[in-house]
Amino acid sequence: MDPADLTVRRATYRRFVELGRAPTPAEVAAVVGAGEVEVRAAWRRLHDAHALVLDEAGDIRMANPFAAQPTDFRVDAGGRSWYANCAWDAFGIGAALHVDSEFDTHCADCGEALHVRVRDGHPDDTTLVFHVLVPAAQWWNDIGFT
Amino acid sequence: MLLFRSEAHVERWLGDRPRGAIIPVTKLAELATAWWGDRLSPAWVPHTREQNQGILDGLGLTDPFWRFG
Repeated sequence: MDPADLTVRRATYRRFVELGRAPTPAEVAAVVGAGEVEVRAAWRRLHDAHALVLDEAGDIRMANPFAAQPTDFRVDAGGRSWYANCAWDAFGIGAALHVDSEFDTHCADCGEALHVRVRDGHPDDTTLVFHVLVPAAQWWNDIGFT
Repeated sequence: MLLFRSEAHVERWLGDRPRGAIIPVTKLAELATAWWGDRLSPAWVPHTREQNQGILDGLGLTDPFWRFG
């Protein structure tokens, strides 16, 4: 992967963490000293390499584990909040930040509200289960569905 | 990639649809640590398929469901 694209990726993630939302091309361009067109081109290459996920408009949809749009996984970690793309990513935000975290979601079946606290990587409620519908070999066929 | 109160809730939610893979939330937490732990590292580069497979294998997720290819 091109080092310049990795620089754009690092800036994108850094701004996502700082802002609590997906950055705009201008916000990333200001960090890396490039133009918005160059940032969007780098994002497209990173998307093609599965290093982040763009929406149809070319804006950030996922900088995994962070989600650009509201989801059923609201994560608090280190005094800030983000949305995660799925249950795996909900644990992933604390893991990526190397801090304790907690998140709210619901049992996908019965709708029971679930509040999970994660301390030193361990969830406080150990009775829950995680279900993956799509086999690993097909995860990137439709990452949104996965 | 959802959380459920129990395996019985997964089965009820699935109905007639084929079951995927179910793991305890404790295993999911381990998986998240191994998978996402380097995501914000300045030295991060994309994981290779072999690296990702190694993470799954290392956690005992060796069923064909967890194979990348």
